[in-house]
Amino acid sequence: MEFAQIRDRVEIDPETAGPIDALPLIGTWINSNPDTTGIARMEISEAGEGLALRTFAIGSDGLIDWGTTEVTVVASGAASRVGAGFTCVYDFGFAETRLQGMIMKGLLVLAQLHSFKDDSKRVGYFVREYYALDHGRF
Amino acid sequence: MNQTLAFKQSSDLHPALSDPATRTLNAGNLIGRWVNTDPATRGIAELIIDQDGEQFYVRAVGAGADGPIQWPRTRAQALANLEEEAGQRSIALAADFDFGFMKAETYLRANKGVLVIVLFNVFLDESGRSNYVNREFYYRQD
Repeated sequence: MEFAQIRDRVEIDPETAGPIDALPLIGTWINSNPDTTGIARMEISEAGEGLALRTFAIGSDGLIDWGTTEVTVVASGAASRVGAGFTCVYDFGFAETRLQGMIMKGLLVLAQLHSFKDDSKRVGYFVREYYALDHGRF
Repeated sequence: MNQTLAFKQSSDLHPALSDPATRTLNAGNLIGRWVNTDPATRGIAELIIDQDGEQFYVRAVGAGADGPIQWPRTRAQALANLEEEAGQRSIALAADFDFGFMKAETYLRANKGVLVIVLFNVFLDESGRSNYVNREFYYRQD
């Protein structure tokens, strides 16, 4: 088995290995910062055998719907089968945004890596924000 | 002449993004050799970040079973970090490593003198291993 760090070297029977349980990620995640100028809300739902993410960001006249994209679900270790985060890419033509989320203590910590592809000469930027799962209990 | 800027969120229009100096702002906070705060790490033991003009590079050393595993030196994309770390705005780096059997998407940032790396490891082989995320911390060695 190939590995780049010891952490990768785990023995798994690929014949019996099941998919990562994505349940911890499913739901609506709300930005903890009501004054954000970035992503306000994310909706993660089942889509076939995977997950789909729909993102809403703050615009000048209300929320901007980024639409839906597929995500790659990740666990907390190579032997774990419990969903602990995701990664995905939005391509807007003029810009590309990579989202990398990980669950920590019940919060989804979202790293946003924004790159501009137009001729605006804007510098790409990085933002990290926190999201809480809207559980509807209180 | 004013240019109308395309955007998908208000922060795309942050004035600092139009300042070229933002591209390398306080890059010295990241440059150097960094050692894992956990001497028993099973992940990346060491990181070396260097800069050639506006281009940044990252090299990693993985903890191996029989000694260190040298990861390939890879180009890193500098991203303006609009958050202030310890009252100072800086940059973050995004770097991807491709091992054939696995790819690792990473981002790195410095926070109060500590380098933080978050790796999203995606296996491309048929080993049955789960893709996974991991976060580790480093202190500056030189």
